[in-house]
Amino acid sequence: MSRLWRRLTSSPGAMVGLGAMALAYALAFLWLTGDLAGGGSGLETGFPAWERLFERRGFLRFEPVGWIVVGGWVWTFSPLNTLLALGLGILLGLNLLAAWWVWRSPRACGLGEASTSLLASIPALLLGGACCAPLVLIWLGLPLAGAVAGVMPILLPLAVVAMLVGLWRLARRLDRPP
Amino acid sequence: MYRFLLTAFLAWLVLVPALAAPPTREAPQGMVAYPLETLRAARRPGGPGRDGIPSIDRPRFVSADQARLDDDDIVIGLYHRGEARAYPQRILVWHEIVNDEVGGEALSITYCPLTATALGFRRGETELGVSGKLVNSNLVMYDRATGSEWPQILGAAIDGPLAGQGLEEVRVVWTTWGRWRARYPESEVLSERTGYVRNYRRDPYGSYAPLGGYYLPQSRRLFPVLHRDGRLPPKTLIYGVRTASGALAVDRRVLRDAGLIETRLGAERIVVIHDPGLDSAWAFRNPRGTSLDADTLGFGPEGVSGPGIEALEPLNGFEAMWFAWVAFYPATEFYAEVP
Repeated sequence: MSRLWRRLTSSPGAMVGLGAMALAYALAFLWLTGDLAGGGSGLETGFPAWERLFERRGFLRFEPVGWIVVGGWVWTFSPLNTLLALGLGILLGLNLLAAWWVWRSPRACGLGEASTSLLASIPALLLGGACCAPLVLIWLGLPLAGAVAGVMPILLPLAVVAMLVGLWRLARRLDRPP
Repeated sequence: MYRFLLTAFLAWLVLVPALAAPPTREAPQGMVAYPLETLRAARRPGGPGRDGIPSIDRPRFVSADQARLDDDDIVIGLYHRGEARAYPQRILVWHEIVNDEVGGEALSITYCPLTATALGFRRGETELGVSGKLVNSNLVMYDRATGSEWPQILGAAIDGPLAGQGLEEVRVVWTTWGRWRARYPESEVLSERTGYVRNYRRDPYGSYAPLGGYYLPQSRRLFPVLHRDGRLPPKTLIYGVRTASGALAVDRRVLRDAGLIETRLGAERIVVIHDPGLDSAWAFRNPRGTSLDADTLGFGPEGVSGPGIEALEPLNGFEAMWFAWVAFYPATEFYAEVP
């Protein structure tokens, strides 16, 4: 883990890449979970419901406290949902960066291991996005929603565990002497 | 003394929820086609948990002039004790239940987006909430006094202390804002200031104007049902009426063309009258076989009027997606022929 940390903090490019990945994932997550959606016009903000900051509307899903309208987009803003989305994005970004470094490392077995870890992060990404998004299934018209709705609450913790395990394995690989 | 206090406490525990329970009928308004155990076993989690879809418990209203609605926006209309209120579908899609008080009476206006059903119920001292469960894709409500669970279309409890009993229904109308406003220009409209932040400009399931997404007639349902019937595309809206002895689904196109339909449900004569102003219908029992002429009937705030109407007994009817209606009422009569 120490080598991963050193490489990350010593490379501005890696930090920018991590930030970009975290932001992209967070936006995708917020869109999938419905916090970010269309239907807006103009520029408008309002925060009338701060008292609902910690109010849950589902497992690891919180009530919005306000809205931010920018053009056609409406963001029903929950600080906790946003923090969660960014946290997941950082975790995924770290996985991808570490997998990239392992893949680029000059050892014979690097390619296979990095690919495996990278592949492991893909279901994590999907699980993370799908965790609270039965609406996505509805948009897609999948009859799967009926079966999936019951397991939705466990998908997000599963995604986090999958990404933590993936990151731990990659960090160990990076720390191993060549 | 100790025993007395204990007895009093136990009595309080039993009586307080019972007193606050919603007003019920011993027999539900419509038939219940399945044993309650079957309906209980058919419950499915819909995704969000109990109150994960929050009901509106302190609704605010704006005047018709202040409402930000287009003429073709769907509203659920209520005219009760001389007061008219419109509940925009695009607000209810996020909340499903409004615990309101109209004309001094406590009512719950309920809407299930997955089955396109809107029903009003008397709620007494308690409130109805969204349980997070579905039966036949239909919203299962719960009452906050006893925790009994009520599938909306049935209007009957399938679990809890009130299992087997029925809620008292109040007629609400599925129509468009333009049509509702023309009939009830003084109508109040549910405000977007619901106490919650939601994107009321967007329906997460699809669109009614133009028709799209989940609401397309031929699109697939999402959750399992107890009975399937392919006579109509699954999401086709029918007008449904049910009594203790049977259920009737009327093809709305046929209803529009005919204006007035006279049929039977078991031994009872039933009349369904199309309301061209609201593009909805009024249903009645016709116990004396009174003859009616569609051309002599008129429509106003109180509903349909004209010669013969006073001899009829009003029945609650409502629009529903075909797949959901036939799932709850597998032996439903289906009226699809122009007489």
